[in-house]
Amino acid sequence: MGIVIAVISGKGGVGKTTATANIGLGIGLNGKRCVVVDFDIGQRNLDMILGLENRVVYDMVQVMDGEAKLKQALIKSKVSENLFFLAASQSKDKSVLDSNKVEKLVANLKADFDFIILDSPAGIESGFEHTIEFADAAIVVVNPEVSSIRDADRAIGILDSKSNKVKNGEEVAKYLIINRIIADMVESGEMLKSDDILEILNIKLLGKVPEDKGVIDASNQGKPVILDKKSIAGQAYTRISGRLCGKQIDMKDIEISDSGLFKKIAGMFR
Amino acid sequence: MFGFLEKSNNSATVAKNRLTIAIMSDRERMGVYPFMDEMKAEIIAVVKKYIGVRTIEVRKEISGEFEGISIDVELDENKE
Repeated sequence: MGIVIAVISGKGGVGKTTATANIGLGIGLNGKRCVVVDFDIGQRNLDMILGLENRVVYDMVQVMDGEAKLKQALIKSKVSENLFFLAASQSKDKSVLDSNKVEKLVANLKADFDFIILDSPAGIESGFEHTIEFADAAIVVVNPEVSSIRDADRAIGILDSKSNKVKNGEEVAKYLIINRIIADMVESGEMLKSDDILEILNIKLLGKVPEDKGVIDASNQGKPVILDKKSIAGQAYTRISGRLCGKQIDMKDIEISDSGLFKKIAGMFR
Repeated sequence: MFGFLEKSNNSATVAKNRLTIAIMSDRERMGVYPFMDEMKAEIIAVVKKYIGVRTIEVRKEISGEFEGISIDVELDENKE
C-alpha cells in the first residue's frame, strides 16, 4: 500500500508544481515506484515541467469517468522507469471532481505505487479540498514572503479540518518546504528566516530550497532541475526526496551565503 | 536621518511581527483556535478537582474596544 502525499501551497506561483515534479523524480531515482498526479484541472502544467506534454493521450478525469483505463493514462517518465505521471484534464474545470471518484482513483494508485503525489491547485477551492481529502500527508510549499506564508496557514487550517484522516480522529502529517531562499537577504535581515516561518506556521521542516536560476532553465527544457547535479536547487530536491524515502540527511544551512560562510570561518581564527 | 535604512535592514522582523498578528486574527475569524481543545480539557481537569463539571464553553467576545474570552462552566450538581 502506497502513501498519498498532497502538495499544497495556498498561494499560487510559489513553485508547487516544480516541487512536485522534482520530488516525484527524486523518489523514482531512489528506486521507489512513484506516480505524480496533476489535480490542477483546467490548468495542466506538470506535464510541461516533466517534459511529457507530447505524450498525454488520456487524463485523470477520463480515468475517473471510465472513459480510459488507468494503465492507458499513466505516462512513464523518460528518465526514471519508476516514475509515472497522470495528467490533469485541460478541457474541463475543477467542478468535475467528485469525492467518490477521487477516492476510487487514489485507492487504485495506492495498490500499485509506493508514493502517490498529488499536485494541488492553488487556492483553497473545491479542487484543493479534493486533493487533500484522501491524503496521508501533506507537503506545504512556501516562499519566505508574507503573502505566501499567510495563505499557507489558511490552507493548513483547511487541511486540518477537511481531510478524511482528521475526520477519523487521526493526524495528517505536515511538512514544509521553503522555496526560493536568498541567503544574502536572510543574512542582512531582509528575508524571513526559516526558523521564524516554522514558528509562525507550527509545522515540521522537510527542506529548504535556495533561489536558483537553473529552475527556469530546467522548466524551459522540460528536464526537472534535480537532474542537474550542479544546481543548488536540484541538490536541495535530492536531499528532500531522500528524506521522504527514509534516508537520514542533515538539514543543509543554505541561509548562509558563501561570503557569510567565509566570514564565519575567518572569525574562528581571529 | 538614516531611519529609513535601519528599517529596511530589519524588514524580516517587521514581516514576522505583521505575519504573526495577521495569522492569529485569520485563525480567530475562522473560529479555529489551535489550542482550544487542549485549553478546554485543562480547564475541565482543574475545575473537576474541586467540583463536578458537565461542560465548558469558551467564546470570544468583542464589545466596543474590548476583546475577551468568556468561559462558561456548567456544573454537574450530582457530583458536588
